[in-house]
Amino acid sequence: MRLRPKPAWLGVAPSLLVLAVFGAYPFLEVVRFSTWDWSGLSNPVPVGLANYRELLADPAFWHSLRVTLAFAAITLPSFILLSLLVALTLEGQVYERWVKGLLFLPGLVTLSAAAVSWYTLLSPEYGALQMLLYTLVPENSPLAAWLVVPAWDREPVWALLLVVAFTLWRYLGYGVLVVSASLKGIPRAMLEAAWVDGATPRQALRYVTLPLLRPALTFLLVVGTILTLQSYVAVFLLTRGGPFGGTRVLGYFIYEVGFEQYRLGYAAAATIVLLLLTLGLAYAQARFMEER
Amino acid sequence: MRSLARHLFVALLVFAVALPFLWMAYAAFLPPELVYAGEITRLGFSLENFRALAPEGFWGRLVYSLGVSSLATLLALITGFPAAYALREGAPLLGFYLFLLAVPAEMLLVPLYGVLAGTRLLGSPWALIWPFAASPFVVFLLYQGFRSVPWQVVEAARIDGAGEGVVLAQVLLPMMAGHLVTAGVLSFAAHWNLVLYPRVMTPEAWWTLQVWMADLVRKYPADWGLLSAAALLGTLPLAAVYLLFERRIVETFEGSLKG
Repeated sequence: MRLRPKPAWLGVAPSLLVLAVFGAYPFLEVVRFSTWDWSGLSNPVPVGLANYRELLADPAFWHSLRVTLAFAAITLPSFILLSLLVALTLEGQVYERWVKGLLFLPGLVTLSAAAVSWYTLLSPEYGALQMLLYTLVPENSPLAAWLVVPAWDREPVWALLLVVAFTLWRYLGYGVLVVSASLKGIPRAMLEAAWVDGATPRQALRYVTLPLLRPALTFLLVVGTILTLQSYVAVFLLTRGGPFGGTRVLGYFIYEVGFEQYRLGYAAAATIVLLLLTLGLAYAQARFMEER
Repeated sequence: MRSLARHLFVALLVFAVALPFLWMAYAAFLPPELVYAGEITRLGFSLENFRALAPEGFWGRLVYSLGVSSLATLLALITGFPAAYALREGAPLLGFYLFLLAVPAEMLLVPLYGVLAGTRLLGSPWALIWPFAASPFVVFLLYQGFRSVPWQVVEAARIDGAGEGVVLAQVLLPMMAGHLVTAGVLSFAAHWNLVLYPRVMTPEAWWTLQVWMADLVRKYPADWGLLSAAALLGTLPLAAVYLLFERRIVETFEGSLKG
């Protein structure tokens, strides 16, 4: 089929112009920057592939790659399972719309404000939640030993889990909406047919609902992959990559290298690695889910 | 029994999600001396924290941030509306927009810095506006909206002699109000919540409320009252807009995901 341009197509021009300059062009530029030794202010010196060679030999880079993958490996499954669980639980309840509205709120509200609230609430030892727990449960009772806010300022694992929890808190509402929208698209007749054939609610869920939710879950998986691999603002706000680099995800590594150590060329090379990783993984997942 | 477990689960979830908001609203009114004494469970009420915000320059930042985010959103809607219309009319660029959707500005920090350094935008508030004057997200959401509009309406208007401009402004604009509001609020929120981008691209004088607030935490980590007051007031504008249009936003968004 040949495409015949229409006058309406002109409407795309202003948007395209802006996106070409600030979206597509930087994409091409980042490749060029990555072959430079450049601080952003100095004159760039072309160094060929030296940045990449250094990157592959940089233990800090590999460490942050591992942290990023660990972060994604924890966040993604819990995000999708929780979205599914919450959407199924809410379906048809009187408070459904109200709860969905609330769940969506954390993703919108002022990010730094949310981080402030989490930080003061969940600080280990002196945080508000810990103080509240001590008030409710006397410090010397056996129960108190279990009600301690984990020391995420010293233990990398807990710090990573804190960032995971914050990320889930922000995006759960979005995931629930996606699953819920697809849930509402399932024709009631199909479920009724299953019931008539004697399927238990569990069987109906397993053999009718879940397969039909597959496109929505694929969508969440792909979007979630992009999101988790690229998210580092939460890290900046809550832990600044610490403790001991335990939460220094690749995005944050790039930020530090580029704008705290002023090695923009090196950061550009790392950006390319991250972009390839994200797009590659997202594409592979989409294909994999489609084929199955 | 099973439905009880279900309600309990929802109640727990709602509590967990709402807790940071509740705490923020509570702590903002705590008298500073109670915070420093560590007696946060004792009831007290004070507006001290809100008064302390003014000397830190809170109000100026708030107005400035509202201004740049509104302007960027407005531009994104103005460029996005005809662009989505063009896509609906078959312009073969959907893939391009979807691709850019996968790469947010905070990801392109390094190359954008380079591109902006080549223009005069770096270091001025315009660095927060022009790169966001078109948004793949807005285009995509509006495109989904256009797909739910019965296109005979457009064809009928054309037969009556309406040009493309008239079709857009007088026929489609009213029909798309819900999607425009949703796209507007969501893209405003996305811009409002940029933290590292403004931090890198502009000097401290032009930092937005977000960056300023992240900095405030570094300056006064123990002054929970002050921090919470800033957090509460910084959250209210967006939360108010969201609550005002909540039904429309959730429904439109859900609807556009079905397609």
